[in-house]
Amino acid sequence: MIDRLRRVLRVARWEVARAGGGVDRRTLAAALALLLVAGAVLGGGLAVGAVGVDVDRDVYRVAVDGDSPYADAVEEAPALTPVPVEGAELGDSADLVVFDRRSESGGVETVAVRASDTRKGEAAAAEFREAVEAHNERLMAAEENATAAFPVTVTLRYVGRTSALDEGSTLGEDGGGSGDGIGGDGAGGGAGDDGSEGDAGGADGDSTDGGSAGGGFAVPSVGGGAFGADTVGSPGSISPPFPFVSLLLAFVFLVPMNFLIQAYGSSVLDERTNRRGEPLLVTPLSPVDIVAGKTLPYVAAAVLVTTLIAVAVGGGPLSVAAVLPVALTFLAATFVGAMFARSFKELTFVTVGVSVLLTTYAFVPAVFTNVTPVALVSPLTLVVFDLQGEAVSAGEALFSTAPMALGAALLFGLGLGVYREEDMFTQKPVARKLLDALAVRLSAVEDAGLGDLVDRRRLRALGSVAFLTACAIPFVFVAELLAVATLFALPVTVSIPVLLVTIAFVEEVAKSVHLYAGFERGVFARTDRVAVAVGLASAVGFFLAEKATAVVQAVGLTELYVGRAAFGSVAGVEGLSPVVLAALLFAPLVLHGFATTVAAVGASRDRTYYALTLALATLVHAAYNFGVVSLHG
Amino acid sequence: MGDADRAERGGAERSDTTAGRSGRLTIAGRELAGLRAEKTILLAIAIQLFIAAFSSFLVVGLVSMYDPGALGGAEVEVASAGDAVSDLERAASEVDGASVTRYEDAGAARVAFERNAADAVVVADRTDDGRIVASVTAPDATVETTVIVVQLRELLRTYELNERADRAAYLTESPLPLPERTGSSPYFTFTYTVLIPVLVFLPVFISGSLAVDSITEEIDEGTLELLRVAPVTLGEIVDGKALAAVAIAPGQALLWLLLLRANGTPVANVPSILALMTALTTLVVAMAVAVSALAPDRRAAQFLYSIGVLVLFGGATAMAGGPANAVARLAIDSADATTTALVVAYVGIAAVAYGGVRRLVAENGFEG
Repeated sequence: MIDRLRRVLRVARWEVARAGGGVDRRTLAAALALLLVAGAVLGGGLAVGAVGVDVDRDVYRVAVDGDSPYADAVEEAPALTPVPVEGAELGDSADLVVFDRRSESGGVETVAVRASDTRKGEAAAAEFREAVEAHNERLMAAEENATAAFPVTVTLRYVGRTSALDEGSTLGEDGGGSGDGIGGDGAGGGAGDDGSEGDAGGADGDSTDGGSAGGGFAVPSVGGGAFGADTVGSPGSISPPFPFVSLLLAFVFLVPMNFLIQAYGSSVLDERTNRRGEPLLVTPLSPVDIVAGKTLPYVAAAVLVTTLIAVAVGGGPLSVAAVLPVALTFLAATFVGAMFARSFKELTFVTVGVSVLLTTYAFVPAVFTNVTPVALVSPLTLVVFDLQGEAVSAGEALFSTAPMALGAALLFGLGLGVYREEDMFTQKPVARKLLDALAVRLSAVEDAGLGDLVDRRRLRALGSVAFLTACAIPFVFVAELLAVATLFALPVTVSIPVLLVTIAFVEEVAKSVHLYAGFERGVFARTDRVAVAVGLASAVGFFLAEKATAVVQAVGLTELYVGRAAFGSVAGVEGLSPVVLAALLFAPLVLHGFATTVAAVGASRDRTYYALTLALATLVHAAYNFGVVSLHG
Repeated sequence: MGDADRAERGGAERSDTTAGRSGRLTIAGRELAGLRAEKTILLAIAIQLFIAAFSSFLVVGLVSMYDPGALGGAEVEVASAGDAVSDLERAASEVDGASVTRYEDAGAARVAFERNAADAVVVADRTDDGRIVASVTAPDATVETTVIVVQLRELLRTYELNERADRAAYLTESPLPLPERTGSSPYFTFTYTVLIPVLVFLPVFISGSLAVDSITEEIDEGTLELLRVAPVTLGEIVDGKALAAVAIAPGQALLWLLLLRANGTPVANVPSILALMTALTTLVVAMAVAVSALAPDRRAAQFLYSIGVLVLFGGATAMAGGPANAVARLAIDSADATTTALVVAYVGIAAVAYGGVRRLVAENGFEG
């Protein structure tokens, strides 16, 4: 063991020395110079006011009279650009025309807008209304009589319903000193995003407001944006509890991963071009030692960078622990990609694909942190919780990180399967490499008479089939959750059928793709009897592993309707008679057995047959899932 | 560069231009054939599709979170108390999706909240200085919190407007009347200002990355030396590789724009958008060629290229009239003379940059 560790460390040292030579001082200097130039340009731009990240600058054209008070409102809104009323034609040179009727004294009495009859016209009208609201806020902020300008002051606090309330002491009075109010710590970034909301008018209003309000309100500065604080200010300054700042900071953790996997992928593929890795392969080092050693420096770099970021943005050890599985998955997916890719060009696409997929997988659920438990699917949600200073239970932490860590380990296992001479230095399409990598993990199953059915070697071979299927469960899990997250926003009538078919397809592929690999690579004999045997073995493996994932219940994921559709077979069986219960327990086994056998028989023929039987199995599976969902209601 | 090499290059330059052109086209064709064989272009399109689908999902999801209709059009039930409650009720009658129930005192309202009879509590009291103080209690971290708070804000803003109107006499300048509310989806603005620019610029990065990979791979495997033995000049090699990388970009962008159009999102000024993105692709590919020529190896080249693209696009987007904004204005049909001038300027910059890089490489050759 110690010996192995020493070997791994030796490879790691060698990798560090090589990588250090890769990006030399000149390159670093050039990169630094580039960044400095960019910083200088940006700084200069900021100084002269030419910089603004408004992507929607001037997208709507509003025809407004130059001396109308509305011209100022339009001028102030970045998305709107004023055009002269004379000669303005709706839909051609303007999207919106503003008509205001002014009294003799110059005040505006009524206003009407005419928008072009398109979606753009509607959007322009909505944008204009917002611009006028913002303009009014600014106008009011400049008022001397703050009581008339902001007659309503709001104290917003978040209270959990289960918590005991201290009766009537703060509510009903001036809720000024609300810092220690009920549920004050549970607000979850309620005010956190105020500063970045860009509602300058509102923020200004508040400071004026606070200044003149005197003793009434101690903390009117909503614009400050401390995490977890309650909101006090005018109604316009209320913002919903969306953990914007924490999310942005959580995203910072993902950025360095992209550079890391680029270097790592190059390093792995370098071994494979021009047979450079061959000398290492013929040493007494095992592939596991080599890969572990090559990966170790990158893991260390990831941990180091993550820790630095955590210190910088105020995250704790939980943030680092939560980001580690993400980093490992980034590296693992890149490793597999680099093992499968034929050229650097292909590797670039694989790297881009990996970073896009994993970034979305980690980031998108975290957006819904305070909204739904599904968010815990991503370890980044833990980071958001950590940055908000909220407590996370051990179960939640485990649920968030374990699937990703397991997935990373399995991906490394998959890639290691082809870390051998005959695969490393050959040029094969990615799909065929994948079949190779899967077939490596299988043992031969020959056609045999009924008498040899319980032969020990045969059982072991079938066991490896079942095990491989079970290993696919984390990926099935990830794919299904991704599907749930994607379909979350759709209405239930659309999302449920689509989801059922998608999930059935994902599961059927997971159960049969390695069987196809086995038949294609000649590991399994191409007979129907073998096909049935491996199909049943795969189904059993899947069934057992799926039952093991009953863990999902622990975090209440199944409370969601969509979640129940995905994990229907493991949840929501309370209140049914024992016979139905038993039937429900074993019905999935029968279903998996049947569907996988169908697919396996197809896989034992050829690709076309496999595609057809896979479609058939998916349909059967989807029909069954639909039955289960409607049974559970 | 050796004397023989120079002589050869001179020879090639003296030969007729058709040979040069066919040399470039051959190299470009070889590049494209490689892409086709590896089906990388399909992977690239799949990645773009994924990004498009997910960014749309994100926005649709967020919008539905902020849209009370998303939760089955449920009304937010507000338990309310205090001496200013009747004005709050008046405001509630003007706001869709919020209803106010009056309770005797703050305690009773909070009991109702605690018993789930109400979604939120608002206690509105008048203070001595003529202000109204509203203490709002919203449920903590439940699925509906965001929707409830959005509705409460709407309610309280209406309340504020009403109260402000009552006090208009004390104001030196009265607020402008608001135009009528219209139904519009925020998704519309997002589509044109974020989604379309992203989809148009993704192929740009991919092309640049391809150029870096293609050149550094040849250097790495020593095949560039072989290529230089062939009767083509170094400049033609660069031309061929750049041509292939630039050629695949507009097609992808056009694909997205047509897809969006089929999906009910009309995109205006397609030729200008394509011209702008082709110019940017040329610019990025020129940078890619320069980086691969200067950097010692592939890793350094990719690293420098990533940083360079980040700087270039980050900087350009932050500037007023950046390419992202230009594409948005072109696509939404709000372009004016400055936008056209911007497109022409980008084309000019790209041409100058490529010409400069090509000369640099043709004279100094590749390192490595």
